[in-house]
Amino acid sequence: MLQFLLSGIAIGSIYGLIGMALAISFYVTRIINFAQGQLMMVTVMITAELVSSGYPVWLAAAAGLAASCIIGVLSYLIAVRPILLSNRFSFGWLVSTLGFAVIVENAAAYVWGPTSQAFPPILNNISVPIGNAVLTGQQLLAIATAAILAAGFEIVRRYTLFGKLGMATAADPEMASAIGANTTVVAIVAFAVSAAFAGIAGLLIGPTTFANPYLGDTFGTYGFIAMMIGGGTERPIAAMFGGLVLGVCAEGANGLINSQASDWFPFIVLVVILIVSPKGLFSASNPLFRPRRPAAASR
Amino acid sequence: MNSTTDRQAAAAIPGSQAGGWRAVAPLAVILAYLAATAYVAQSDLGLQNLVLVAAVFGILAISLDLVAGMLGLYSLGQGGFFGIGAYATTILANDYGWNVYGLLVLVLVAAGLVGVAVGAMSLRVSGLYFAITTFIFTLVLTVLATDMVNVTGGLQGLLGPAFPDFPSGLRWLGSPLVWCTMAGLLLCLVLVWNIRHSPFYPILLSIRDAEPFAEAAGARTAAIKVGVFGVSAAMAGGAGWLFSFLGVVSPSQFDWSVSLNVLVMVLIGGINTTIGPVIGAMFVSMFPNVVNINPWLQEIVYGALSILAITLLPDGVVGVVKRLLAPLIGGAAPVTGIVTIEEPSATAIVPAPAIPSTGSEIVVECRGIEFGYGLGPKVLRNVDLAVQRGHIHGLIGPNGSGKSTLANVISGRLTPHAGQVLVKGTRVDGMPASSRSKLGLRRTFQAAQLVKELTPTQNVMVGLFDRVPRIVGRAAFWPMLASGRRDMAAMHRRSAETLALVGAGEWTSRQVGDVPHGIEQLTQLASVCVAGPDVIVLDEPATGLSAKEVRHLATILANLKSQGVTMIIIEHQTRFLFPLCDRVTVLNAGEVILTGSADEVRADPVVRQVYLGE
Repeated sequence: MLQFLLSGIAIGSIYGLIGMALAISFYVTRIINFAQGQLMMVTVMITAELVSSGYPVWLAAAAGLAASCIIGVLSYLIAVRPILLSNRFSFGWLVSTLGFAVIVENAAAYVWGPTSQAFPPILNNISVPIGNAVLTGQQLLAIATAAILAAGFEIVRRYTLFGKLGMATAADPEMASAIGANTTVVAIVAFAVSAAFAGIAGLLIGPTTFANPYLGDTFGTYGFIAMMIGGGTERPIAAMFGGLVLGVCAEGANGLINSQASDWFPFIVLVVILIVSPKGLFSASNPLFRPRRPAAASR
Repeated sequence: MNSTTDRQAAAAIPGSQAGGWRAVAPLAVILAYLAATAYVAQSDLGLQNLVLVAAVFGILAISLDLVAGMLGLYSLGQGGFFGIGAYATTILANDYGWNVYGLLVLVLVAAGLVGVAVGAMSLRVSGLYFAITTFIFTLVLTVLATDMVNVTGGLQGLLGPAFPDFPSGLRWLGSPLVWCTMAGLLLCLVLVWNIRHSPFYPILLSIRDAEPFAEAAGARTAAIKVGVFGVSAAMAGGAGWLFSFLGVVSPSQFDWSVSLNVLVMVLIGGINTTIGPVIGAMFVSMFPNVVNINPWLQEIVYGALSILAITLLPDGVVGVVKRLLAPLIGGAAPVTGIVTIEEPSATAIVPAPAIPSTGSEIVVECRGIEFGYGLGPKVLRNVDLAVQRGHIHGLIGPNGSGKSTLANVISGRLTPHAGQVLVKGTRVDGMPASSRSKLGLRRTFQAAQLVKELTPTQNVMVGLFDRVPRIVGRAAFWPMLASGRRDMAAMHRRSAETLALVGAGEWTSRQVGDVPHGIEQLTQLASVCVAGPDVIVLDEPATGLSAKEVRHLATILANLKSQGVTMIIIEHQTRFLFPLCDRVTVLNAGEVILTGSADEVRADPVVRQVYLGE
């Protein structure tokens, strides 16, 4: 039981990191970047490639993260900005970010081929017994990293001027630019940070999954579910909680129902949660936690 | 209530002169379509397959455009409904030997019902969350199809059933599947074309862009959204039925990326156009056959093209073609005139005189209204208001005193926490906003709620929604019905007349997005007057109008009053309001401080202190 809980939290913190990555870019631009999973994959592939050509792991990982930040910013400049400039409320980004994801994924498959490659183990070889359960060093690293990043992000968002600039841009970009905020810079930074979150998630899961160009699909979907379960569309940190719920549910289902149950069980959880609280478990509008507001008049 | 007289009047109008040409053109197009179908049905399998896939996705794209283009509901659930159709057909035909035509009916009904359920659930949340909820619906169905290996064959999928042959007498026609698919596509095209040429179309767009406006006109917007989404889902299910005859049915053909690809088709072809989605579907589905290179490079090119298309051609192919053709047709050349408002007519603006005024009957009454937003302080506290028939009743008060909230409570946008609202003796609190219209109560909005891409005339037609019978029911075949064409002509004429009567007659054919603010306000007023209401609630009608426009408005309101229309007017400009009013109610901080004649209000020391600024 403890084992399910702990491994659930470990994999959940990775889902949570990707969910937060999605939520951070959503927070500032009100779009969902369908290429988020692919940004994670870029870090994994570049790191694997550099390590196999003899560079040290830390340098390879740094280069991998840098690459995904650059591609993340490119995804904003190419697939998001032009569309939001012409009409802030259009849904064209659904198409353009998906197009960007298709390009990145297939470029990776073209360069490295569709099969998996070796990935450095980092801390995966160490086992740490906790009570009657066992975690790898890598899993503990994942939990610690996720906790630090989530807390750090929340502190920056709430207590620094830049974080408040982000909030202002999120609430009303036109107003924010009218008081002198450079909303483009805020958005670029948000996309770079969100790509870094996704990339770090990639480094944490890479030793388990190995390097594969199609990693982005699966983990992008799980990250999305984490965001929706938690309600990351309102507060990015809620996506991390959602990730933990998702991870524990998936691991628990695997152990207690059958070995395939983690494929479908999280979706049932998601549907139930969305029926009860359409904007997520940890959102302000959850009827279970806070009194329901009466429907407001048209804005 | 006036629809019968309308229809009699409309019958007297002679048919339009271009009628002959208009009748021949669609016939020619349909004949060409049938000839092309006959050609494809007898050609080789390669071409047949190309056309079949394009046509099936064409139906899917039309089904998405029906909700995305006309209602602004970006559904990512089309892949799911498509999958329901294909799997149900394959499993029930292969394993249980059900008749495939019977299955078509079953699939349409089943997908439609699932669509209604999903729609009812996800419409609690709007805009982006609708896209996300339907996205998750598709995700869940894909997972089910993958994991229920015993029934669905898992990732390998199932081999679809064979399509029954023509009876021997009709074999010369060629492939029956081609005929059936092309007939299905044609039906869908005719259906959306009909809807676009029915009075339901302005209603749909007003639900998309200005939902409070549609509600105030009597449209039950939530029910219409769910219903249209159900039709769209049934259409997608039908596309799935056709798709099951094309070969293997497997989860990857219905996953969320398919839903997004359908959206790509709609956006590339041109959203909210009849033919655009089909053009987009042809492009996307034929792309892999035309660009025959390394599959990864091919995907990269596809991704790049979809980004380019969406950033460079936001209106899609059809939008570009329209822009290129516009100067050739010489249609909408922008007129560079000065803003002119004609004198409002001295004749009656409201078409039929309202029920004759019977002395001092109370038509609108509020008793002890309490209301507050969320957990904040009460915005209305124990508000009583009684409006007599034929009166103009002013509602004044400082900003934040609850005037607009009270208007929203009366018109049904908000439900009071306590108290009663009565319109002509009927209790209406607790009833939706759309119910007011039948009682003859209409309203205008402070910020005009109109559809920018339609003309003022079309916007005014929205006001006639519940004055013409069965607009929703007849929409699918409207232009084909004699009664439909007659009603449409009558509605058009009546709307244009009403616009002329309020003095905006010169602006009937521009788009509302291009007209000045004053004309927007007049359009709004016309859309209310066209229905012949007894009671009108006007929320700050003079905001942003020039002095001359305010005088113009006062003339119109005096005209309406002389015809017995009761009005409740919220306004800050007392110089405009007081001369019109029979009674004035003053609100301050959510409470009524005084109701009296304009002179009494002007003389009251408390009013002078809190509002008139002394």
